[in-house]
Amino acid sequence: MDPGPIATYLPTLVRYAGVAIGLVVLMIIVYRVQIALGVNREAATGRALVVPWVVGFLIFNVFTIGASLYLSFTEYNLFKAPEWVGTANYEQLFSLSLAPLESPDQRSSDALPRRYDEIIRVQTASGGFVLGAKEEGFWRAIKLTLPYAFLSVPLGLAGALAVALLLNQHVRYLGFWRVLYYMPAILPAVATALLWRWIFSPNGLLNSAFAPLYALVNIPRPNWFFDPALAMPAFIIISLWGVFGANSVILLAGLKGIPAELYEAAAIDGAGEWSKFRHVTIPMLSPALFYNLVTSTIGALQVFEVAAFIQTPDSVGTFLNWLIYREAFDLRHMGLASAMAWIMLLIILALTALIFRSSEAWVFYQGAREEKA
Amino acid sequence: MSRNRLVLLAVALMLALGALPSLAQTEPVTITISTWAGVDEAAELQVILDEINASQSEYQIVHSPIPSDYYTQVKTQIAGGVGADLYWIDQNNMALASEGVFLPLTDCLAGAEPGTAGDVNDYYPGILAVNVFEDEVYGLPWIAQPVVTYYNKDLFDAAGLDYPTPDWTWDDFVAMAKALTLDTNGDGEIDQWGFTNNGWPPPYIFVWQAGGELISPDFTEAPIDSPEFLEGFEFYLSTAYNPEMSPSREIIAEQGFGEMFKAGKIAMFMGGAADDLDRVEGLNVGVVRVPGHPRTGSHVTFAWNASTVISANTAHPDLACKALLAVTEGIHHWKIVSPRISQATVEHLVSSEPRKAASAEAIVAAAQEMRALPIFGNYAEFDSIFWSKFWGPLINNETDLTPAELAAEVRPELEETLPE
Repeated sequence: MDPGPIATYLPTLVRYAGVAIGLVVLMIIVYRVQIALGVNREAATGRALVVPWVVGFLIFNVFTIGASLYLSFTEYNLFKAPEWVGTANYEQLFSLSLAPLESPDQRSSDALPRRYDEIIRVQTASGGFVLGAKEEGFWRAIKLTLPYAFLSVPLGLAGALAVALLLNQHVRYLGFWRVLYYMPAILPAVATALLWRWIFSPNGLLNSAFAPLYALVNIPRPNWFFDPALAMPAFIIISLWGVFGANSVILLAGLKGIPAELYEAAAIDGAGEWSKFRHVTIPMLSPALFYNLVTSTIGALQVFEVAAFIQTPDSVGTFLNWLIYREAFDLRHMGLASAMAWIMLLIILALTALIFRSSEAWVFYQGAREEKA
Repeated sequence: MSRNRLVLLAVALMLALGALPSLAQTEPVTITISTWAGVDEAAELQVILDEINASQSEYQIVHSPIPSDYYTQVKTQIAGGVGADLYWIDQNNMALASEGVFLPLTDCLAGAEPGTAGDVNDYYPGILAVNVFEDEVYGLPWIAQPVVTYYNKDLFDAAGLDYPTPDWTWDDFVAMAKALTLDTNGDGEIDQWGFTNNGWPPPYIFVWQAGGELISPDFTEAPIDSPEFLEGFEFYLSTAYNPEMSPSREIIAEQGFGEMFKAGKIAMFMGGAADDLDRVEGLNVGVVRVPGHPRTGSHVTFAWNASTVISANTAHPDLACKALLAVTEGIHHWKIVSPRISQATVEHLVSSEPRKAASAEAIVAAAQEMRALPIFGNYAEFDSIFWSKFWGPLINNETDLTPAELAAEVRPELEETLPE
């Protein structure tokens, strides 16, 4: 018997209302305490108004991030209390072994200690060496995710810049084109992942379109997501879909903000179109490019949907974020998964820091220049 | 009235509203059941639940389906101390019982009448064993569907072949599969295959028939390098993506696994007894048990099974027990194949699913020879290693090692996951 919508949802609505009232009460308390301490009304009101955000940030960000860090030092399977294991999870992930190969034909498994699987093999005429890891899946995921980010981000930025430059021309129905190019950014990632899965399927749109070409050069239809050599290009092409839209709009806004006088001054100095682009457009656009580079890099390293919804062999399409999810929820290795997540965070932080450090050399802030002057 | 009083009044009002549901919730008690049922299956289940709810006044069962990402949500709910009172749990996830997240049913089943859903002696022992941990029963099976062979009679007729008979062997199967792999339109490309295997059916069927075991009965060994295991597994591999008898991985990915059978492109398909492949419109399909081992004569088959459990978080264990027994009894008259020995008859199967009348005899016969996976607490990890380091690399042709070489390598790692 269906209890009906009111009986079903009333307790939830009451809880929602309770949370809202609790936050309001907290805001009032924060406000009153500040007033009692002599803080002026405007500042007290401002601080009171950000209380809901602060509470949400503390509960849903600070607490969960802290809990994840703690769990990475534990063995935790969801149902039993976390057991402190120190750095064991990290040691497990970094258990690597480098072994020489006595001959080029020697099997990696014969050269490596037991429980270690090959992640890198280098062969020479006399032998070579093999690098193995206990958590080979983790290193395989990193080997997939990092090149994916390194390739997809620059290509995405270049494509977005090209689209933004096109949209910045005096074309008719500009609003329509802007909406069209932004559309991919607002479509659900799962839906687009499923669409791309079909496009790249053996008899999908792409292979059908190129069928005459395949016949001409006498090659079979490629199976994009099952062939290790083709999966990466396929994933990168998919990544460009969403990146074009969001990044293009930001870059377009940047282009619109470049003062026309700069181009006029450059023209008076005899600059051609390429010189204007190189010495005016790119420097003035560099803050927007910098922002896009940072957010795109973080997004590429955290890729999840395509890995979750496009079926590939494990060895071909297991990105790091997807591996973390499976380790956590399929195998309930919450501690190990948390350690992986923290390593991913450190990789993202390191790359982001690198981009920030490099920005001094190539990002031009007009305001900063004026301040210095 | 001051602003403060207004706020206090509002808080009091909301708290009173919050208390309303609990005041109204006198009798009957709500028992929730979560399942992975989609729209159609949920509608069929609701008929059973409505009958149960109408038959007594102690409790009302409310269905809370989770049709996608089921186990992630179930595990999270249970870990968070919330969620349903009853859950459907499949064989692999019954390993969660070892974590103490389900209620042991010893007390619940103590007074059960013989021949009812609570009578543990009426279940196939191998199916019930999936639900037993440390001598406690944690779940009542509601389905145990053996893998059977569906065959397209029209394709057999067109090839001039006799239909498979219950005494057929691996050799007969291979001969038929090869004879039914054809280029029917003469364009030089195969467009009809005798069989299909993309990782399904499970290899255990052939391993068990050859006398091999994935895990020893006492859960101390994983003898995947035994000659019997390897014989069965190698036969299984020989049926997968083999151009002489089955489509390639690419073709299956492109055209769909079951869809190819429904489209009349596959002559034989091994599927669960409850699958609807024998009632596809426009297809003339027969059902026979899986082929047997030529030497041992075994026709053992794999049984996919699932159970209903009581969450350890339930606030109403006694009523949840009553609901569990009632729901399980109802499902045993709905789903096929019932996991109960007393219901292993053609009559019972046809009364549960009249559309299976033509296949009922073969299904009931297969049920007599079905086996379940040997589940233990750490089975998910065992299964992950078995797939990622042995089964997957071999079936996907990602290793240069032979099955025997790989088995010797992987066995120690598998055995590290077994109970100590």
